[in-house]
Amino acid sequence: MSVIRLERAVFRYAGRPEPALTVERLDVARGELVAVTGPIGSGCSTLLLVASGYAPSITGGTLEGERRIEARRPALVFATPWTQLTGIAHTVLAEVAFGPASDGLPREQVLAAAHAALERLGAHHLASRDPALLSGGELQRVVVAAALAQQPDLLVLDDPAAELDPEAADRLYDLLGDLAREGRTVLVATPDVARAAHVATRALVLERGRIVADGVPASVLSETDVARIARAAGCPGPLPLDVAALVARVAEAG
Amino acid sequence: MIGYVAGRSWLHRAHPYTPLALAAAVLLLSFAFHTPVPVWLMVAAALIMALATGTIREVLGPALLLATPTWLVLLVLHGLLGEPPKAPFGPFLLSEPGVARALVLGGRIGAIVIAFLAALATVSPARLVDGMTARGIPFGPIFLLVSTLTFLPRTRERAARILEAQQARGLRIGGSPLARFRALVPLVLPLVLGALAEVDEQVLALETRGATSGVRRTPLDPPADPAGQRVLRLGLVVVVVVAWAARLTNRI
Amino acid sequence: MGFDVALRGLHFGYGSGPDVLRGVSLDVAAGQVAALLGANGVGKTTLTRLIAGLLRPRAGRISVGDWDVATKRPDEMARRVGYAFQHADQQLFARTVRDDVAFGPRSLGLGEAGVAGVLEELGLSAAAGTHPYDLPAPVRKLVTLAGVLAMDPGVLVLDEPTAGFDLAMRDLVVAAIARRAARGTSVLVVSHDLAFVAEVAGRVVVLRDGLIVADESARRLLSHTATLRAMGLRPPPAAAVGLALNLAGEPVRVAEVVERLRGVRWTPAP
Repeated sequence: MSVIRLERAVFRYAGRPEPALTVERLDVARGELVAVTGPIGSGCSTLLLVASGYAPSITGGTLEGERRIEARRPALVFATPWTQLTGIAHTVLAEVAFGPASDGLPREQVLAAAHAALERLGAHHLASRDPALLSGGELQRVVVAAALAQQPDLLVLDDPAAELDPEAADRLYDLLGDLAREGRTVLVATPDVARAAHVATRALVLERGRIVADGVPASVLSETDVARIARAAGCPGPLPLDVAALVARVAEAG
Repeated sequence: MIGYVAGRSWLHRAHPYTPLALAAAVLLLSFAFHTPVPVWLMVAAALIMALATGTIREVLGPALLLATPTWLVLLVLHGLLGEPPKAPFGPFLLSEPGVARALVLGGRIGAIVIAFLAALATVSPARLVDGMTARGIPFGPIFLLVSTLTFLPRTRERAARILEAQQARGLRIGGSPLARFRALVPLVLPLVLGALAEVDEQVLALETRGATSGVRRTPLDPPADPAGQRVLRLGLVVVVVVAWAARLTNRI
Repeated sequence: MGFDVALRGLHFGYGSGPDVLRGVSLDVAAGQVAALLGANGVGKTTLTRLIAGLLRPRAGRISVGDWDVATKRPDEMARRVGYAFQHADQQLFARTVRDDVAFGPRSLGLGEAGVAGVLEELGLSAAAGTHPYDLPAPVRKLVTLAGVLAMDPGVLVLDEPTAGFDLAMRDLVVAAIARRAARGTSVLVVSHDLAFVAEVAGRVVVLRDGLIVADESARRLLSHTATLRAMGLRPPPAAAVGLALNLAGEPVRVAEVVERLRGVRWTPAP
């Protein structure tokens, strides 16, 4: 059952004649963790906005073709956490609780959801801190927790680890994997192809606003350092994306 | 320093509507009165409010800064240039009704500025948000209000970072008036552009978090509003209504 | 062309708080590229801001060439030190990319001759007439880097210059830094993108508890799993391949590893 379906979809930003995104057909099923990759400016962020329904409704612009989204209020996380704060929360807990509070849920339920989300992000120690005073890395975890607290069926993230150090980034991507296994649908756009490939069940490659490849990460992706090493060393495709895969290919080569 | 100042006074711990109601009452009453003595009693009331909350030091400075230029203008406009009868005051010839007028207008400004600064100093934006949410006020007006209250500190912080960034690119602060004026562009534009770009993202983020859901938001930590304070606020309304009734029927 | 940077016994703390830097001494000679590593919050950004003259130390001395940084204003320091901030948007204000990149050179009275070349170098020529805020955030960051390079400073101090970049953009930054180091510019880079650090730095310096605790060749440190793990880092991909395959010579750069893999007779994937 598709959570997202796009058919003959063409999206243009307001005031720009060229399409920012052209999708013949895209179906995303429940529980998929889709990595959306491509050169910066190739339309990955636009695809996230269109796939989550917030373009053109919030961003402006025009969308032709068909789109169906079977998810109640998809949660969205971008790379710049400080622009995602509500501005009215003076503690991290209040910030994270904003989503559930907006649904008018009972107070205990709201707080429980917020605490649970912070725990999952390993950010519970930040609960009483003022969001305005957090570092970029701390803030990013708070923003992801805020999205999680809404118990979303569809979670869409645009370079969510941009502010995180490598260890925290690993944990975040592992969490995305867990969320997908729990039955949520996750779309993540990132230039960090290696990390995304590690957890994604499916990968899209975009070029100039079009999907040019769609499949299993190992067969579709090639923009990781290890893949570059393999390619330059003469390894035939499909290229190994991480160290383990490369070691395996070398072992096979004898 | 215009903004919240942490403290433990009674007004700090009161429901956020209470200090705001007091400031509003000072404003409305100072307009109901039109002779110097009662108006300056309002100034005294505002000063007492500031003293009682322990914020007098933070309030008086900015208050004087804001009010003094207006006071001087009023004194010149009404005191020196007002109608007879005039009386000598040092080297000047001051109009008596003019000085009275200046005292009334100046007193109103003083009372309002001090009362509102004191209220701002005692109302933490966090508690105000919770208080308003508990009353069922939708997100939009709350956001607007809090953004306005926190505008100055946020902008100051942002401006400091921009100043640093442009200095690191060779922007010289200081020099001739023309140079200073031209230096404003690379300082002000990133402030505005950055703020606008962030607003775009923030609107999107808020939408995804349900800010415009239309459902009544759950308050997380609603401030207590004991009967005594509600009676006090009601009492203030009554006093203001009575004062204005008296004013409109020319009894005062 | 470049300047030697010398830090001696630097002490620094914010407000009246404790020292964040407790006696840091460091030398970066002209033409050297050094990477500064350390756990989050340890004071790396603080150290870079001290060098640019944006902060004043409580004790100690910083010299850039023959200049004592304490005697210079930040805009004077801009003549010698090109500082790329971690978050770029605080600088952008001009109507076009070209105008914004030209701002630094213009402020320093250097003229705009070098702007086109820098735009070309960083792949921004096509975007030269675009409003910076119409570009994606990582590209805006590249624009501010272009602005720094256009000032042709003798010292480059870069704070997380490749955050959010794809591989192609990272390559451009690596090449730009290498080119300048070859001309004698001294470069200090703060980054936890170790793949980038491996390609660009000859030397790695580690900051911990307010002091420099390691100062080694990039080759040795980037292969040292234990030291990296203590900072929450891992060997970069090339080094990791080298370690996993036991390649000789501790290769840490892509080209070095590719060289070592030349003899492999690959078989098609299963």
